[in-house]
Amino acid sequence: MQIAVSGGKGGTGKSTVATNLAVALRKIGVRLTLADLDVEAPNDHILLGVELANEEPVNQFMPRFDYSKCTKCRKCAEVCEEHAIVTLKDGTPFLMPTLCSGCRACEIVCPVPGAIQEAFRVIGHTYVTPTPYGFTLVTGKLREGEERSMPLVVAAKKRAEEVREGLLMVDTAAGTGNTVSKAVEGSKLLIAVTEPTPLGIHDTELILQLGKLMKIPTWVVVNRSDLGDVGKVRELAEKYGAEIVAEIPYSENIVKSYVEGKPIALTDYPEAEIFKGLAERVAEFLGGGA
Amino acid sequence: MQVAIASGKGGVGKSTITASLLYLLKDDYSFVAVDADAEAPNLGLLLGVTEWEEEREHIGAKIARINTESCVRCGICYERCPYGCIYIDDEGNYVVNELTCEGCNVCGLVCPVAGTITLEEVRSGVIRKATTKYGFPLISAQLDVGRPESGKLVTEEKEWAAKLMKELNLEHMIVDSAAGIGCQVIASLGGADVAILIAEPTPASLSDVQRAYKVVQHFREPAYLIINKADINPGFTGLEEWAEKEGIPILGRIPYDRAVPESMSMLKPVVEAFPEAKASKAIVEIAEVIKREILG
Repeated sequence: MQIAVSGGKGGTGKSTVATNLAVALRKIGVRLTLADLDVEAPNDHILLGVELANEEPVNQFMPRFDYSKCTKCRKCAEVCEEHAIVTLKDGTPFLMPTLCSGCRACEIVCPVPGAIQEAFRVIGHTYVTPTPYGFTLVTGKLREGEERSMPLVVAAKKRAEEVREGLLMVDTAAGTGNTVSKAVEGSKLLIAVTEPTPLGIHDTELILQLGKLMKIPTWVVVNRSDLGDVGKVRELAEKYGAEIVAEIPYSENIVKSYVEGKPIALTDYPEAEIFKGLAERVAEFLGGGA
Repeated sequence: MQVAIASGKGGVGKSTITASLLYLLKDDYSFVAVDADAEAPNLGLLLGVTEWEEEREHIGAKIARINTESCVRCGICYERCPYGCIYIDDEGNYVVNELTCEGCNVCGLVCPVAGTITLEEVRSGVIRKATTKYGFPLISAQLDVGRPESGKLVTEEKEWAAKLMKELNLEHMIVDSAAGIGCQVIASLGGADVAILIAEPTPASLSDVQRAYKVVQHFREPAYLIINKADINPGFTGLEEWAEKEGIPILGRIPYDRAVPESMSMLKPVVEAFPEAKASKAIVEIAEVIKREILG
């Protein structure tokens, strides 16, 4: 089974909730793998205080033109939805690598066998990192300067599925674009982390819309719950048939554990109880089906 | 001049600081503000915008659709989709997941039955314009849920903003970019004259701002750093050390201050809502440095 932690707005505490929930779930005996699919800004390893390990490059196809065979028919350029292939006046094609999404449409339409050859470039990496908490962390990391995060999300999720043990928990990027829906896809439960400020509420509505469109039961965790009006989050949750399952007040202890890379779920602080409670609810939801 | 504000990591205070800076710069400079976080636009909220004067739909995202009637269920599209966006529904039909499709048209190209898979243009979101109560215009965008390529929306926002600059004879464009380092951020930073990076003294924020800086370096733009919530992690010197090593000037440090979330709840820049707050005083100082060092 798969569940997702997401939240619309950046910085609401998605990674804090994902890492601590993972630790708390493991503590009550749930086997799981955590996948950090925020490939533009992956931070779960930092919060867990581990160094990324078992690096694998994500190679993305890009066309290499064999100009001795190319008939300059321009079909490759015409079919490229990313406009990554430009042609000279006489039809000679050139590739702008960072725009290429690696979809192979050019290769499919090229009428001359061998005129488009396979080349690859590394657009990022995936990692499989053992943690001292009894679960494995899988991370996707987009290379700086690369525009498209979708192929990295797909590659990291695939690697997570290959190595997963038990439950797969995904931590998504901010926003509600299609890379977030790709990360969330296949989840039986969506946990939306929000904060009760007007900005948090605005962005939470978008992630609740996404949950509804994807027909995934959605829970809301209100982070920094004393820094705004939880009533407004409650109204919004009700509108989308979501349920508020935890409220986490602003806490110096959480900030401290966050900056030290030590999950608060492992401490004796009262905040650890909140994650324990959340983990128990998730475990109950899973019904041993993980 | 075009100034882009980026952070890599979300939630470090980029939009709240931007809103305050815009408020402090409005009397001395003419500019258009651009909220380039098309997936979670918040600058309008922080500037008290409740109504938009003009709204343009952005049609341009492409989504593949499969005609179930003529589909022979060969499964080639399913096998060839580079992003795994085609699934088989309960009735055994091949269906495109419209919330994850990238619009590359590979499925359409490999489909053996002509006309069965079509690439359709759909709305990817809206771009809006408002004149804020502070007098300067704001351009903001909102990507529709589950749509690809928010970067294209940002590029179009900036084109609109550039047109406004000409029409209204404005000096500057100030762009509040999204979190991350992907297409939205690249579109935000591309063409900027200066990048202002915002980070908080945590290892996660350091890691993300370093990645954002690498993107800035691609564009060879001069960069500056603002350290927000500067006192939440005493003893953490990573940001300063990194800035010094890279030769990135630090524009200032803003202490953690509950006045900031309070002002957010009031939908006002903190410097307007609580001018005496310690965060506000720090931002005022930073605005002075920006006037002197960057905007001239």
